[in-house]
Amino acid sequence: MSLRALLPVAGFIIWAWAFVALYAMLSVGCRLGWEDVVIAGGLSLQRAQLIVIFIVHTGLLGMLAVFLKPRRHAGFFWRVSYCLSLAAVAATVFSFGWVFVLATCL
Amino acid sequence: MMSDPAGQGRMIASGRGPDSSAEADATVRPGAVALHRQLAAIWDTPKGLARLSAVNHTILGKRFMLAAFVFFAIGGLLAMLIRVQIATSTSGFVGPEIYGQIFTMHGTVMMFLFAIPMFEGFAIYLLPKILGARDLAFPRLSAYGFWCYVFGGGILIIALVMGVAPDSGWFMYTPLSSSTYSPGVNADVWLLGVTFVEISAITAAVEIVVSILKVRAPGMTLDRMPIMAWYLLVTALMMLFGFPPLILGSILLELERAFDLPFFDPNRGGSPLLWQHLFWLFGHPEVYIIFLPAAGAISMIAPTFARHELVGYRAIVVAIVAMAFLSFGLWVHHMFTVGIPHLALAFFSAASGLVAIPTAVQLFAWIATIAQGRPRFSVPMLYLGGFFGIFVIGGLTGVMLAMIPFNWQAHDTHFVVAHLHYVLVGGFVFPMMAATYYWLPHFSGRLSENRISVTAFWLIFVGFNVCFFAMHLTGLLGMPRRVAFYPATAGWDWLNLVSSVGAFVMAAGFALFVIDIVVQLLFGVHFRRNPWGARTLEWAMPTPPTSYAFASLPQVGDRADRIDVATAGARLARGDGYLGFARNGWMETLAVDPASGAAEQLLVLPQRSFKPLWSGLATCAFVLCLLFKLYVLSLVALALVIVSLLWWTAGMGSRKDLGPLPVGQETMLRPHWETRRPPSWWAMAFTCAADATLFASLLFGGLFLWVTAPAWPPAINSVPGVLPAIGAGLAVLIAMLAGRLSAARLTAGFSPAIWLALCFCAQAAAALLFFMMAMAVPDRTTHAFQATMLVMLAGGGIRAAIGLLLAGYGLWRLHAGYLSAQRCADLWIARIWHDHAAITGLIALLATQAAGWALVAPGG
Repeated sequence: MSLRALLPVAGFIIWAWAFVALYAMLSVGCRLGWEDVVIAGGLSLQRAQLIVIFIVHTGLLGMLAVFLKPRRHAGFFWRVSYCLSLAAVAATVFSFGWVFVLATCL
Repeated sequence: MMSDPAGQGRMIASGRGPDSSAEADATVRPGAVALHRQLAAIWDTPKGLARLSAVNHTILGKRFMLAAFVFFAIGGLLAMLIRVQIATSTSGFVGPEIYGQIFTMHGTVMMFLFAIPMFEGFAIYLLPKILGARDLAFPRLSAYGFWCYVFGGGILIIALVMGVAPDSGWFMYTPLSSSTYSPGVNADVWLLGVTFVEISAITAAVEIVVSILKVRAPGMTLDRMPIMAWYLLVTALMMLFGFPPLILGSILLELERAFDLPFFDPNRGGSPLLWQHLFWLFGHPEVYIIFLPAAGAISMIAPTFARHELVGYRAIVVAIVAMAFLSFGLWVHHMFTVGIPHLALAFFSAASGLVAIPTAVQLFAWIATIAQGRPRFSVPMLYLGGFFGIFVIGGLTGVMLAMIPFNWQAHDTHFVVAHLHYVLVGGFVFPMMAATYYWLPHFSGRLSENRISVTAFWLIFVGFNVCFFAMHLTGLLGMPRRVAFYPATAGWDWLNLVSSVGAFVMAAGFALFVIDIVVQLLFGVHFRRNPWGARTLEWAMPTPPTSYAFASLPQVGDRADRIDVATAGARLARGDGYLGFARNGWMETLAVDPASGAAEQLLVLPQRSFKPLWSGLATCAFVLCLLFKLYVLSLVALALVIVSLLWWTAGMGSRKDLGPLPVGQETMLRPHWETRRPPSWWAMAFTCAADATLFASLLFGGLFLWVTAPAWPPAINSVPGVLPAIGAGLAVLIAMLAGRLSAARLTAGFSPAIWLALCFCAQAAAALLFFMMAMAVPDRTTHAFQATMLVMLAGGGIRAAIGLLLAGYGLWRLHAGYLSAQRCADLWIARIWHDHAAITGLIALLATQAAGWALVAPGG
């Protein structure tokens, strides 16, 4: 079995990694007072770093889904991989999209 | 030589070990009866004391399920005691201390000693049969897991009988469970006993994953597997990643209680929330680990009684994988009220709501299957109907609890108790009872008329709903959990009385269920096979099943729930499939490529043995020594455990190359010890994945304390020595490279001795240096930082010590003549561990050095 065997779960591995990164960096940022550090346009450093993490992971998931889409009819393995990548995109957006709006350290 | 009275097959020289030469395959196959006798002579377990040496999956599966049911009865009895206590506000049944033991043990027994082992036993019994194999990949590991389960469970029950059972709740929150507020042995019984039982869970998880990936009938690609195999594969993978955080938490809490290492003490840089995170990181996937096998059973039962193929096979596979991942992102919904930032709560609230979607996909697939078929409403379908109603209610209250504002009102009230019972009883107990009625004819070869089955069902269903629906209201009226008494002025009396009456009605139903099963087992009508007209492989064999499951193994050409059971059964019994003969007294089955299902290896399984029992007893001795704080003696017991496990390897493999052997169907395959990736290679890989999870949990636990715990930074004056750290890092790297070179050189036909010796010395040096650094951590009881460093460094030492054992084992196997260019698997397996020990060791060294230098006081 090669690394290709991980394709079905690649999407949710990225989702899980986004979760770890966001939860960890949220805590680190609150501890280091990044919420009070304002950068461009009234955006705090805390929110900015969380948004960057969110965008990077959502982007990776998007790329994965785009890679799998033309292959989705090539058999069970590819179909399942593609469906799971879409599910991971939806899960990421719904689980972590709150970084744009909610108070970060309260 | 065994005789061949029918003259229908050329017999092979019989011998107990694989050193015997395989003289030839059976060029003229024996008939079905002769074949059965030959296979039974090899695979059967004799009666009497010899039954303690059983490694057969049918026997062990039944034992696991029977033991789980006994524990279910104990847990149920404890539940009745709870209901007696809180039936009214004026109850004087037991005091709060005993009540604490009762509800703690109810939860602990149900979650650890009933639910998980019941599904393990079910998986062990069923998997080889539905996959078209003769047994699981590691029969002795199943046996060892059984003994760990029974002995660990025994420790907990004996403690209960003696009045020293754990009493801090089934989730053992600190600081209540710390030594300050729980000074007795009660909490240690939980920590050590449950960890002992978890060995059984991890071994079962490794066994199930490897067996599903490797030990299937040829031609059974992943998309042809029965859907239950997908469910069990996903469940077992969840166990590998979900149980290590609990094991780590239990180790840390026991270290705190025994040696005052302050992981959870906020006055010394620890945090009670660390325990909660570690526990629920296990605890939430745990409930999906409990649900998924039951859902797998439904996915097999519903199509049979609907007389229609399962609708949405692919959608279900997608749903259960999504569910598995999402379930690891929900754990904080058990902690919504602890003061975590709202944004973080939102992540977990969203994921908690989201997980309802893959659940619903499965529900709709089952409904569609039934709707498109011609359903027969037999007793198993009654229980599926009960499941639908109860589980959906539980799921809806779950989505309610996922909403944070509502959760803040309902947390720690009986509303949560009602929810968890609706999902667990609805989602596990009802499907398991359906599965019992469905597969009981398979276990026993008998059918019953089910005269009291329907009555039993309605008593359980009505009693359950009366008991637990009322609890939603009790909870919404504010009744907290885990209280032995409540004031009469609260107005909860009549609802609690209704719940208690319902509980007794339910208990009567379960008693009738037991009677029903016993009557079927003793007096049911014998029948041939497949009373339900099912289309999966487990019905293509005699019932009760033989010890060898299949007289010959099938070539699967279509999805494994489309089997013509009658035709396939007859053909396989005649020996028309793979391995339709007996050879050398070997217990043979086939290993396949995980994805394509192409036959790859001849798997020669170990014979029945008392060694798992001895190892289980040694492990029990080790646990008891720790429980009674006999630490020096515990080292002796640990040595016995290690020696007993190494003893398992005696005689395994071969002292000469046999080359490819005939396996039938004009196919020749190498025995597994002459391949680079036998099933044990995969077992080592997945074991390392579980250990990596434990290591990562420790790493993130340390980071969590640094970022959120009070009393940071610690006032420390020294850093772990740089020179020993560099030495240890080099040692593990050298060990890793030497391990890789030893495997490569052996495969290329050269002696690996020098590289094995180098690996041995390097791991010895690494272990020594790691332990020295751990012991040199100053003031380890003064702050959680030092305690974490100690554990991280000690962990590196333990991994190096295991690497030392493996290198030494390689040297011994080489000396004893078991290794060659073909027979090189031992070194490829060890290579995985050496890599793992090196990577985790280097990370541990970097983390401890970086943290130490970042925190050291100026001038220190």
